[in-house]
Amino acid sequence: MKRIAVFGYSIMSLEAMARLNPEQYSIIFIVNDDAEAALVAEKDFDTKVIDFRNDDALRSIGIGADVDILFCFYPRDFDNVFLTISARAIDKNITIVAIVDDPESAEKLLAAGANKIIDPYEICGRKTHEMLTKPDITNILDNTVFGRHDLNMAQIEIPKGSCLESTKTSDLKLNEKHNLILIGVVDKELGDQLHFALGEKEHCLDAGDVLVVMGPAREIKAFKKEVEQVERG
Amino acid sequence: MFTRLIVYFAYFLKTSKRYQSAKLFFYNLLENPNSRLKSYFDVFMICLVMLSVFLLIYEVDHKLGESEVLFEHCVISLFIAEYLLRGWVYSDNHKIILEHYEKAEYLNVPFRPAKVAGIMLAKKIEYVFTPLALIDLLAILPSYRPLRILRVFLIFRLFKLFRYFNSIKLFANVLASRRFELMTLGIFLGFLVFVATTGIYLFENPANGGEVKNLFEAFYWAIVTVATVGYGDISPQTTGGRIVAMTLILVGLGVLSFLVSIIVSAFSEEMDELRENSTYAELNRFDSFVIICGFGRVGQHIARQLEKDRLHFVIIDSKEANVLKAKRLGYLVIHEDASKNGVIQNAGINNGATAVICTTGDDVINVYITLTSRHLNPDVRIISRANNQENVKKLYQAGASNVIQPFEIAGMVVAEYIGQPVAFEAILGIIREESHVIMGTLCVHPGSLVEGMSIAGIDFEQRKLILLGIISANPEHQKHKNSYAIKNQHFYFNPEPHFVLRDGDLLVVIGREYAIDYFRDQIEKSRLKNGRQR
Repeated sequence: MKRIAVFGYSIMSLEAMARLNPEQYSIIFIVNDDAEAALVAEKDFDTKVIDFRNDDALRSIGIGADVDILFCFYPRDFDNVFLTISARAIDKNITIVAIVDDPESAEKLLAAGANKIIDPYEICGRKTHEMLTKPDITNILDNTVFGRHDLNMAQIEIPKGSCLESTKTSDLKLNEKHNLILIGVVDKELGDQLHFALGEKEHCLDAGDVLVVMGPAREIKAFKKEVEQVERG
Repeated sequence: MFTRLIVYFAYFLKTSKRYQSAKLFFYNLLENPNSRLKSYFDVFMICLVMLSVFLLIYEVDHKLGESEVLFEHCVISLFIAEYLLRGWVYSDNHKIILEHYEKAEYLNVPFRPAKVAGIMLAKKIEYVFTPLALIDLLAILPSYRPLRILRVFLIFRLFKLFRYFNSIKLFANVLASRRFELMTLGIFLGFLVFVATTGIYLFENPANGGEVKNLFEAFYWAIVTVATVGYGDISPQTTGGRIVAMTLILVGLGVLSFLVSIIVSAFSEEMDELRENSTYAELNRFDSFVIICGFGRVGQHIARQLEKDRLHFVIIDSKEANVLKAKRLGYLVIHEDASKNGVIQNAGINNGATAVICTTGDDVINVYITLTSRHLNPDVRIISRANNQENVKKLYQAGASNVIQPFEIAGMVVAEYIGQPVAFEAILGIIREESHVIMGTLCVHPGSLVEGMSIAGIDFEQRKLILLGIISANPEHQKHKNSYAIKNQHFYFNPEPHFVLRDGDLLVVIGREYAIDYFRDQIEKSRLKNGRQR
């Protein structure tokens, strides 16, 4: 189970955390005061009130120890930059995701050591544009992959000893056997880039390769299970 | 009998489609400021007027050949036709007749054709005496041989350009808006020139040893001096005359500065309106465009994306800083409050706008703009931003077609990034068309090669495409599994090989852009081919 520390209480931080599977992630919210702590606690998240400017306080919540992912969701960019730089100094391997208010601060956050920058305004702008120019596609994705239906997109890593090892992508036939559609493959031999399954190139699957598939949640789960069972066997 | 004939004829004109469409055509050609036809006609007439004026200049010291004379006749005929057509379009005689006839019938009083004829004539005379119609007439009259004496009026041909140049009209309107100030200044200037004329004549007449022989010369000197031109052909010789000159020069400077300041302030005050008018004029030229209400951070991103797609759009924002930013980026912008009916209407919600995007940071304003836009155009697409989850429902109630929640979407992106970074980047890459691999839709047209074909029959693998599913509203497909209801349609994910495609179905595919385009072209061509054979 991965441990996530979320700094900053906002609609966005709550929304993001609500979407994560509680079985896979243990989440702790770091808030400014008790009032915020009470609000977050209402949503069944653990909370802690600490001063993010203090390195010892950061260590006390597990940064540098068991915290794998850190979210910087403060509304002010300089708070996020300070937190990023402090956390990166404590733990070189921690994944830091930060939001940005002013686009100019994005570079500063990256320089401070953030792995991923999220600009909510840019995302919203892009989304509106997609909705305007590709209403059919956006509608499907919103209603299925991102929405209430159980149609999902998932990535499945091929474990060592899996029955899929040494299988060619053209032989997978996931649409016939598993009611899944293979979108692409990350062939580790060729790097971390995703290769779309357009039949342009044959990939031979090895352990560590990642399949990106789309399909109903239960079918994805069943497919994942099948792969894992083989590994144990 | 005569009355009945007139009324019958008036009713005939009212109901005649040919007459109405002809009148509408000439209205659009000559008078409708929003008509594209008029702008073409204006350009044509500007060229014609310039050519005819050059011909007149050429005629001063050359003899015109046959072709030039013919051209002149053609130009004059066109001017006459234009003048008469404008007179025709100016008022509707049949409407006047019917209005009076129906009124007389209702009140049970006799219908008086002579009175109605008088009203109709008065209307046409009103047209004849409008400034622009007078210019038109004066541009035509000197061409009539017995009136050759009026040749000086040929210069009115240049004045005809007033009709066709919007900027000249705007200049005249700006001056007209300062009528009171200009008139006050004019009266003061007239008084000043009168005093100076009298004074200089009294001091500078030859009897007193001066050079001013008569009152006209005194007036000429006063005008030349007050305008600070001062040719020096007449100069005051006496002390009294010099005092008059000095006073006139100083006061003249003041008057000139006052005149300039009136015109400059009028222009600066009207400038915003002028700019907005030019924005509206430019919008009128577009067949389709998007209205973006609010140029905050989200609005700016949307505008950038639309600009990349070469789609037309106009921004409406009431904040000066946002308007300046949009102008700096070269976007069309209206500095107004988008929640007002008139603003959205002028922006063209019923005249070419395909979508309205409400993207201000205030949900209350977004709801209001959404409601206004939906009220003005029931069919336009409205995409609205909700900053608060509670307001999503209200925006849909107000008539939004889609609602975007920035913080929810960003939250979702964060969650996807942490949970499944590869899948997430893949889907984002596809949507944003960053990797030349896109998700597209292909329509099954009636008579095309794919209509009636089963999924197994289309070799998607050979076409290097991934078929995700089919969007369809056809009830025939409802027996198939993997069906997801989306609004009034269904999305059939991973359709079975025996799924038969029907007219109107949409295939959702992933592939390289050119592969999708190639298949789309094939479908399109087959439809056209089969259409011809039928």
